[in-house]
Formats: sequence, structure tokens, C-alpha cells
Amino acid sequence: MSLRWRAIWVIATVVLFGYYAVANIASEETRLESPLIPDNALRLGLDLRGGIHWVIGVKLGATEDHELSFLIGLLEDDLERDKVVVGKIEVVDHQLRIETFTDLARDAVREWIGDTEQLVEVGDDPELLTFELSELRRQQVREQGMSQVLEVLRRRIADPMKGIPDSVVTRQGDDRVLVQIPGGSLDRARAREMLRVTGFLEFKIVMDVAQTEELLRAKYPDGVLPENTTVAFERDKETDRVLSAYLVGVEADLTGDYLTDARPGFDNQQRPQVDFTFNPAGGELFQSLTEANIGEQLAIILDDRVYSAPTIQSRIATRGTISGRFTVDEASDLSVILRAGSLSVPVVIEEERTVGPALGADSIRRGLRAMIVGLAVILSFTTFYYRLSGFYASAALAANLLILIGVMSMFEATLTLPGLAGIVLTVGMAVDANVIIFERIREELRAHKTPRAAISTGFSKAFWTIMDANITTLGTAIVLYNYGTGPIKGFAVTLSIGVVTSVFAALVITRLMFAVYPGDRHVESLSI
Amino acid sequence: MPFELVPPGTHIDFIGKRRVAATISIALLLAGAIAVFVNGVKLGIDFQGGTEMQVLFEDQVDVDEGAIRSAVSACGIEDSSVIRYGEAAGREFLIRFQAGEVATAGGDGCPLTPEQKEALERAKLSGGGGGDEGEKGETIDKLAYALGNAIGRLEVQRVEFVGPRVGSELRSNGLKSLLVACILILMYIAFRFSVRFAPGAIIALVHDIGITAGIFVILGLEFDLRVLAALLAILGYSLNDTIIIYDRIRENMELRTKFDLVDVLNQSVNQTLARTVLTSGTTMAAVLSLWILGGEVIRPFAIAMAIGIVVGTYSSVFIASPTLLFLERRFGGTSAAVGPASEVAASVRREAPPRRYAGSSKAKRRKKKRR
Repeated sequence: MSLRWRAIWVIATVVLFGYYAVANIASEETRLESPLIPDNALRLGLDLRGGIHWVIGVKLGATEDHELSFLIGLLEDDLERDKVVVGKIEVVDHQLRIETFTDLARDAVREWIGDTEQLVEVGDDPELLTFELSELRRQQVREQGMSQVLEVLRRRIADPMKGIPDSVVTRQGDDRVLVQIPGGSLDRARAREMLRVTGFLEFKIVMDVAQTEELLRAKYPDGVLPENTTVAFERDKETDRVLSAYLVGVEADLTGDYLTDARPGFDNQQRPQVDFTFNPAGGELFQSLTEANIGEQLAIILDDRVYSAPTIQSRIATRGTISGRFTVDEASDLSVILRAGSLSVPVVIEEERTVGPALGADSIRRGLRAMIVGLAVILSFTTFYYRLSGFYASAALAANLLILIGVMSMFEATLTLPGLAGIVLTVGMAVDANVIIFERIREELRAHKTPRAAISTGFSKAFWTIMDANITTLGTAIVLYNYGTGPIKGFAVTLSIGVVTSVFAALVITRLMFAVYPGDRHVESLSI
Repeated sequence: MPFELVPPGTHIDFIGKRRVAATISIALLLAGAIAVFVNGVKLGIDFQGGTEMQVLFEDQVDVDEGAIRSAVSACGIEDSSVIRYGEAAGREFLIRFQAGEVATAGGDGCPLTPEQKEALERAKLSGGGGGDEGEKGETIDKLAYALGNAIGRLEVQRVEFVGPRVGSELRSNGLKSLLVACILILMYIAFRFSVRFAPGAIIALVHDIGITAGIFVILGLEFDLRVLAALLAILGYSLNDTIIIYDRIRENMELRTKFDLVDVLNQSVNQTLARTVLTSGTTMAAVLSLWILGGEVIRPFAIAMAIGIVVGTYSSVFIASPTLLFLERRFGGTSAAVGPASEVAASVRREAPPRRYAGSSKAKRRKKKRR
């Protein structure tokens, strides 16, 4: 490559990344509006921006117990039907224990368990049959538990429409959820309340129904609805178009708080339906509600949205079904939603890192100040010590910083406080490559080589030294990235990118400047 | 004449001082080890679990540690530690306690907000509802409210809570990461240099981590994630130093067929001394500016880095190279220094990948073109 092309290439790189780096100054709105300013920019970590960082542990053991309890319900019904007498049935330590007294009962229970294909027998006490979920089923149950929790938390926190703007809910490992809520938008107490509430699921008896609100209102004099009523809409899932408008009471007749389970099933004609279970208190309420309203429609409302409004066929107690013209998928979706509405899996905050916006802003200010002062000291020292060559190194260091921030902006990397520290550290260590080269050149000059030869040998001899030194640093940074959590990852990111850009700055940018001057000129001495 | 910190032709007998250096290092390591038994290792909440709250009281509020401590213990938290923090003229405090329970009844000393009372009622009504997810969070909110009532208006600036499970995971993963980093480094050096070079580098690294950690224990400073990040950065930094000297040792060995290993080591360390001093200086400048200007939150990182830079620089000069010598003398062969040394050189030539100077070959090509 000729010198000219090399120069063009290097300048283009620096300008491109520098542009990305400088664009961070513009506010987000300006960036998105202006066609000239890139949309990508650094993301500030929660420790700089302020916000709540939660690692939430999901107690999946409880999900297993829950699954076992569900099976107990079915087992009891069937045993009752077949008039099989057993003792106490309970769930202990994620195991199902059934007290039995006769061989007949034992065989019946074992046969029933065998039919479920979900349990395996453990233990050998004939009086007390003990079963566990099979490994496969256990994994399934745990996965379901996780997706349920993710679903609920996403809906409550990270929903693009109703959630908290810019908040993120992601799965972390087997049984953890990472929740990140940027600062200012919500205080801790309210955020915690979002974890706490059991659901926004409501059951309401439908008083009237029409295709649209206008048609519904038209049924009443002057369009005034009866007292204590409101309109709930059933909307098309894709288009959000109103399918039906239901007149319902303001107060829910029953809420999802009492729901313990919901899952897809089939009626006796193999049509998909959703089976749900209330806890005893809910069961009582539901029983009297349905008894009084047979033939009426029951609106099932989630987050102010009617999901279905089946007609009540009979009195329903703890276990009921929602039938409609479901497809298999719809039935399973609805059951997920019902289950999601009730956060039945206990969760616990295992790690929290919350930073107020004021402290975050303060950290940014201090971090920048440390960076600027560090940079100024290093630049002036380098220029003083190596003169023209030092100036080259300083320019390369400045370009290095621009490229580093530019790369991070381009990939929308997250900048954390440790990340900022990583940038400052990079500034300190980046000069190293230049120092290695310059000391080498000085040595060559002392050995009475011409400046041109000294530069050439200096760069070539320093090449692998610089590579070796930086590859190992990159290695430790990558280890740190794999290990680190949250903010510390940010340190690893800036350190790794910084290593790469530093090598580029020293071996390409500084080199180019030497090629421009002295280049091929026969200079008597070198300012180094 | 160029300005030079280390004048050319400097020839300090670093290797000759290896016994002194070894004594100093071993003494420091021992001191650290003794301090571990005497002082105990202080773990931050990252590794131990616990809660940390940084609070800032408003301007006119008159407050001291004692007042906060008694307000905190009125809330049923006995093992709290309260320290002044930051630069806000003594109105900023760090409150730390093991995950404790706050008396939920809301006694006189620890009053509840109306919302909290409401939430409490609701929780009772729905029979516990979503489980125990909010306990720790509630502790913090209650505490903040209680402090506000007892002392004066305040702002909670930062809350960190690490549960016991996460704490022990971070602890074991942290140690694992140090180990993995060491192994990777060992492999790289064995690959790029020679298997014989690797132990010296590793001993230097263990030495750096050991002494830096030891000084932390002696000074009674705390280990947390920030310090761990610094320790890993020190690994990288110190290795950087060591590799640059090793690189020079290898080069000097290749230049000659017969040499005295002590001479080569000394020469190499001296030749790279200017670079060692300068780079330590610039890195130290950056770290010091972080220490002084970067604020309280990042300071533990900066302190660990600063100690590590000093120790790392010292170890590259006084520990890594003499270890090479020691290992050669002990395991390299039976004859005098000349023998094993040339053996090293031979093994270097054998095992190191061919040294391609990308730069110089390109330069040659360019020259041809121009002609």
C-alpha cells in the first residue's frame, strides 16, 4: 500500500470512529432526528445513569411442589371415584408421599402414577409410598416455572407499551432473572411492589355486550352507563381492533389472586380448553358467583383486557374450565397468561445494585475529570520526553481514545463506572507500546544507525514484543468478562477494546506519522 | 541530546541482588499471611453477602455516625457499621449490615410510612401473596424512612444488596477466574517462548497477587468485586512487564552462541529499564488521577491498582528473571552457567515459532518496488 493510501485509510478510520465518539455529546432526540448524526451511541450502565439492578432468584423447588400438588388433586378425585382408601397424601421435600394401608390401594396408586408417566418411585417403605418427578418432567416443570416468571416480569416491567421505558428483563442461568430498571422513572418501593403483586387478572360477570362501545352506549338513555359499571374490550391480538365491548362492574367479582393454576386441556370431545384451579377461599367465592349466574357470560380480564367471556354452564368450585373456540395454541397461551397473571413461583431478590441518578451523574463527572487530568499529564509528559516523536505518540493516544469510544458507541456497548476506570487505565497503558518502540529506536540510534534505519528496526523489533504483551492482557480481560457480573463486565469490555485500539494506534498510526516525516528523507537527527 | 530518565549504559546488577529481593518478597508475603491470621480477611458485601446503603443528608441536617447507628439499631439491625463517606462535608454516610430483619410491627423507633403500612396490611390479607421477595428491599425502605424521621431529610444514593448464595458464588467464581487467567497465561508463554520461561512468569504473577492482596489485608482494606477486577488487571499489567523483559532475554540469547546467563539477564533487564520505568509512570499517573479525582466508589479499584503497579514492576525486574536463573541452575543441567544457558537458548530456538517481522519484510518489499 502506498503511503497516500495508508494515510487515507488511517485518517478515514480515525474520522469515522471519532465521529461516532463525538456524537455522544448530542442528546438522544437530536441523534435520532438528524440524518447526519449516527443513531448508535454509548449506553450508560445503571451505575452511571442511575437505576435498579436486580438479580432475582426463582424458587423452582416451589414449582415442583406445585406440580405435585396439582397431581394430588387429580389423584384424589380418581381414587374417590374408584373408592380406593388411602391415608394422608402430602408433598414433602419435593416428594409426593402417600400413606397406604392395603395392597389393593398400593397397586391402584402405583397404576395411577404409572399412567401419568411423570413420576418415579423412590424409597421402599410399603406403608408410605414416595414418588418424585421424573428427571425429564422435572426439567420441564422447572423450565415452565422460569418462562412463567419471565413472562410475568416482562409483562409487568419490560412491556414495550405499559412497562417502564428502557427496562430490561432477561434470564440469567438456570434459575435467575436479571431485571434492570433505569433510574428516575421509578422508585425502589414501587418497583418492588411490581414484583409483589399477584396479578391483574379479574373475573367479572358481563351485564351487557355489543360490538363497539358506541353500540353499547346506544342501548342506554343518553349513552349514560348504569352506575358502578365500566366498559371492557376484547381486542384482536394482532390489530388491536375492538371485537366486543362488555359492560361490566367496576369492582371485580373475583381476582386472579385466588388462582393457583391454569393449564391447557381437552374436553370430552377433544376440544381444547383451559383448566384452572382456585385456592379454597377463591373456590368458595367462585362457587357462589357461578351458582348465581348460570347462563351469564363471565369476562376474564387481564390487564384491563378481556381475553374471553365464556358462558357459565354450571356451578364451578375450585377447578373450572374456560371453554371457547380455542385452538390448541390459544388454549396453551391463555393458560400461560392465567398462570403468568398469578406469579405462583416465589421469587427472591438475590442481588441488588441501585444507584440514584444524582450519584450516577456525579460518577460520570468524576470519571471524566480523572480521565481528562490523567490524559493531560500523560500527553504533556510524553511530548516533553520524546519531543516530536512524543507528539506523534500523543496524537496517536488521542486517536486511540476516539477510536475506543467510537467502537463502543458503534456497538452500543454499555459504559459502566468500572468501564470508565478501564478507559483511564487504557490511557495510562496505551503509551506503553509507543515507549517500547521509542526506546528501541533510541537504542538503535545509539548504535549509530541512521534515523531511517533506526525507525524501521525499532518498529520491527518492537512488533512481537507489543503483540505478546497485549495478547496476554487481552486474555485476562476476557477471563474477567466471562466471570464478571454487571458493572465489572464493563471494565473487561473497555479494557479489551482498549488493548486492541492501543496496538492499532502504536503500530499503525504512529508508524504512519513517522512515514510522513521523516519518511524517506535523509535527516541528520531524529527528535526522539 | 534526548531527555533520558534512565541514562544509556546503565548497568545495575539486578540479578546479583536476587537474594535481597527474594528476602524482601518472602518477608512481605509472610507479613501478609500473618495479617490474614491476625486481622482476618475483610470481605466486602460482594463476597460475604449483606446490605450497603449510601445516604446523603440535606445541607442543614446535623448528623453524625452515632445518631445514625442508634436510629439503625432502633429498627432492629444490631450489626450495622456506619462510616463517613465521600466529600459532601460529612453529610454522606455508608451504612452496612448483614442481611437483617427489621421489626415489622413498626415500633416507636422505626416508624413505617403510610404506604408501607398499607402494603403490610395487604400482605397479611392475601396470605403472603408473592412470597418473601421483598424482605430485603423493605428493610432498606423502612430504614431510609426511619432515618429521615429520626435525623433529617436524606437521599438514598446507592443500595447494594448481595444475598448469601450470590455472595458465595461470586467468591468461588472470583478465585476460579484468577486461576483460569494464570493457566491461560502459562499456556501462552509456553507456546510463545519456552516451557522454561513459564514458571518464572507464573511465580511473578502469584507473587504480585499475593503481595498486593497481603498489603490489602495489612492495611485492613476490603476485598470486593472492584478489587478483584483490579487484581486481574494487575495480572495483565505485570505480565506485560515480564514478557517485555523475557522477550529481550530471548533476543539477547539468540544474538550470541556463548554467554553467561546472569549477564544476559542483567543486560536484558537494564536495556528495558527505561521502558519499565516510563510505562509504570504513565500507568501510575492514570491510576493516581482515578484515585484522587475518580470519587469514592472507584477508589478501592484505584488503590489496588496502584499497589499492584508498584509490586508488578518490582517483580518483573527482581523476581521473574532471577526465577528463570534459579530454575535453570536447579533443573537445567549440572554444568556451569554457560551450559544450561545455551541449552535455554537452544530450546528457545527450537520451541518458539519462527519470528516473522511483518514490518521488516514489508519494508523490504517496498524498497524493491521503489527501485
